[in-house]
Amino acid sequence: MAYSEKLIDHYENPRNIGSLDKSAEDVGTGLVGAPACGDVMKLQIKVGADGLIEDAKFKTFGCGSAIASSSLVTEWVKGKTIDEAETIKNTDIARHLALPPVKIHCSVLAEDAIKAAIADYRAKATKKDETREAAE
Amino acid sequence: MDHFARLGLPAALDLDAAALDRAYFAAQRQWHPDRFVARPPEERARASTEAAALNDAYRVLKDPIARAVYLAGLQGVEMPSDGKTIDDPDLLMEAMEAREALHEAASPEAVDALAARSRDDMTAALAGLGTLFLRGDRAAIRKTLLRLRYLDKFAEEARGRRTNLQREKA
Repeated sequence: MAYSEKLIDHYENPRNIGSLDKSAEDVGTGLVGAPACGDVMKLQIKVGADGLIEDAKFKTFGCGSAIASSSLVTEWVKGKTIDEAETIKNTDIARHLALPPVKIHCSVLAEDAIKAAIADYRAKATKKDETREAAE
Repeated sequence: MDHFARLGLPAALDLDAAALDRAYFAAQRQWHPDRFVARPPEERARASTEAAALNDAYRVLKDPIARAVYLAGLQGVEMPSDGKTIDDPDLLMEAMEAREALHEAASPEAVDALAARSRDDMTAALAGLGTLFLRGDRAAIRKTLLRLRYLDKFAEEARGRRTNLQREKA
């Protein structure tokens, strides 16, 4: 099976590997897994005061396609608003990396990871607002 | 016909490995293609279908985790299919931390220690399944089976990591 150059590049030189402070208010963390293949993926975003994603990190234990998919997503979301980031579809990831059909599920994992990170960030922001209102 | 019935065994989590082997080899002899060479095509086709179904049954029942997943399926516990994701935080956190520790393990001995701990977890999880099945606690069965999938994957990764470390050492 021949993999695309973009895929190999993201696999061999993954962008944004690492972790952000999970407990920070401006960080959203998504942790998802694909039990069928035993993959586990963590994707985190840090949202600036201007509402733009200023940093993104990932840590993925899985196959090359899962690593490349999460690496690509961290690259794509930087500089976007969370609403924009939320529109990323697994089909966009799969197309960009030219994932073979048997590896499409890796792009699904990456889409679910960014969605989960956004949901976590939103939940934190809502809680912060409520706390602030309660204090006022 | 389910895999247990096909081999004439009780549908149970704990199977006697010797009894499973005996049942399989006896059934396999009965449907062996050699015995159907001179038979009409439809009988030959039937025999080869039966032999294939027996192989499937044996493969699934022989492996404790595959057997537990299969038995759970018979009792209506649905496992996520290929390409479906899960977001259970405890389970994934445990899997993530284990894989990180394995990634950082710098010697075959360190890998062995992690693998041994994971094997103990696996044994304990399998042992605990019996009670969950008796209680019919589907949610807990599902969670335990998912955890076992990750522990099994960890064992596989640990073997790979160990081989690499030994090669580096040599």
